[in-house]
Amino acid sequence: MDKVQRVGEIIEASTTDFVAQCYELYQSPPLGSLVKTRDSEVELYGVVYQAITTSFEPGRRSIARGKDEASEEAIYQANPQLLKLLKSEFSTLVVGHRQDDKLHHYLPPKPARIHGFVYLCSPEEVRSFSQPLDFLNILVNTHLPVSSDELISACLRQMSQVYEDSHSFLVAAGKELAILLSSDFSQLKAILGRIQT
Amino acid sequence: MPLDLDKVFPQVGGMIARMKAESTERRKRLQQALDILHAQASNLSNLTRKIASSKTTWLIAGPVDELDQHYEPPSVPSEFAIAATDGSHIDVDRHKSTRCYLINIGAVVLQYGSSPSATLDSFPNLYSGDEELVITPAGVKGREQPVEGTLLGIKRSVDECCHLAKLAAELPAGIPSLALIDGSLILWGLEAYPEFVTEALLVKGFLSYLSNIEKLNNNSRKIALASYISFPRSTEVVNTLRVAICPRDILDTDQHCKDCETRECDAVAGIRDRELFLNLLRPGERSARFISRSKIVEKHYREHEVYFFYLRVDDEIARVEIPRWVAMDNNRLGLVHSLVLDQCQRGQGYPVALSEAHEQAVVTGADRENFWQLVESSLVDEHLPSLSSAKSRSKRTRWV
Repeated sequence: MDKVQRVGEIIEASTTDFVAQCYELYQSPPLGSLVKTRDSEVELYGVVYQAITTSFEPGRRSIARGKDEASEEAIYQANPQLLKLLKSEFSTLVVGHRQDDKLHHYLPPKPARIHGFVYLCSPEEVRSFSQPLDFLNILVNTHLPVSSDELISACLRQMSQVYEDSHSFLVAAGKELAILLSSDFSQLKAILGRIQT
Repeated sequence: MPLDLDKVFPQVGGMIARMKAESTERRKRLQQALDILHAQASNLSNLTRKIASSKTTWLIAGPVDELDQHYEPPSVPSEFAIAATDGSHIDVDRHKSTRCYLINIGAVVLQYGSSPSATLDSFPNLYSGDEELVITPAGVKGREQPVEGTLLGIKRSVDECCHLAKLAAELPAGIPSLALIDGSLILWGLEAYPEFVTEALLVKGFLSYLSNIEKLNNNSRKIALASYISFPRSTEVVNTLRVAICPRDILDTDQHCKDCETRECDAVAGIRDRELFLNLLRPGERSARFISRSKIVEKHYREHEVYFFYLRVDDEIARVEIPRWVAMDNNRLGLVHSLVLDQCQRGQGYPVALSEAHEQAVVTGADRENFWQLVESSLVDEHLPSLSSAKSRSKRTRWV
């Protein structure tokens, strides 16, 4: 059985997305990763679309400290409080859910719960989730701070890594995108250019 | 209505013009103060004798070292730890039906060296018991002092020190450490209260916690203690110079000053200690040690008698207060000098441990609102009357 890795805890949630705080600074999952969280009987799946590291308190901005330090690591050594004053968060777009053991590539009935644990999906779960490529529809039709070209291509690159024949997976995804983006050739081209192996 | 700055503007102009006009005179006085400081340096025993036999209404600093001494900071140890606390409070609100106050202590431990680490935490404590809301003299009824306003501020200092002693006890043994308090070691405010209040808060509280920290020192553990006052307004050293300037052999300000026409000591009037030492100390240096001669210290502090020195951090002078057991131990004194300076350098001019302790402790206006809301909604949940004064309601709900 694949090991499940816990990557954060939900601190903000809506029907379409959730924000999770990492337990360790800078340990957010890569852009485009498939993650999951559970709310009683429903398992929600999401794609990481943004990560951010900021001060815990909105009014306290970080300042440059390394002028006289030899390395970046030395800054953290000389200011041990920094690790307690900064936090890393990542935002996730909800792309599907599993209920009664059935996988659905559409939004769940309710948003995720605050303080819900977020796990990185195992390769097996990624394969199972991405075999029908229906989730791409949500990614194509969303408006996020990150452009959907970047998000879709990052997501496909991430997913392709769990396939033995990643090239075939990307070709199949390309074909699906060609249908979804039949009226937007330039976007299709932008995505295909970013997933070429 | 917002403050009408148009009306304030000409008054600000007047203030600045006055300051400008006085600046030449001030510079002259400052130079005179420096000259006297240097001149008295070699005359320490005479000055000490004169101070001991004089009576002044103003506070003077007892000299320990030659007045114009200045010391380079010792090197910073490779491994060390800093513990610091700070506090804030929500005062008793007489417009509320619930009588209580809250003290929030921010506590910080920073460890530097090969395995750096940080602990930042806050400890809010709600006080609502009768014995917590007033201080009562033993065996006598009717003279109790309510813990609110100034007295609550003093109680907060006691709680900060209590928590600092707990933090210090948990510091790792084997590495030199500094326990740091924000503000003064001298609980001045108690001078306005009856003796039993001083007994309860200072002798049985603050000083007992200082003793706890002192007792932690042994062969394997070295803990120094200091308090840090940024941009101090004190004039104790300048007042010492006034005594030195006075042509009388024995000075009694109550008797002599009102009839004095020559007023030689006015040559240094208006100068603060920090201006004096900004001109004397190079960045990183500390001044000579001085003893606080305040009444409360002389009467109660005993082995924790408060010494102080000034420290130059970049372009600012800070006042660092230390108990006698630190001041008279060169090792610990050096540790305070080097570690306080190091903390300031890491913290943009102010000790980083104190600034983080403050961040942990701070109670904002919104926090205060939320706290009272929590109290009121809890009263409602339990079907208890939640009354507040009409004045308090009118401040919260504004109308035209």
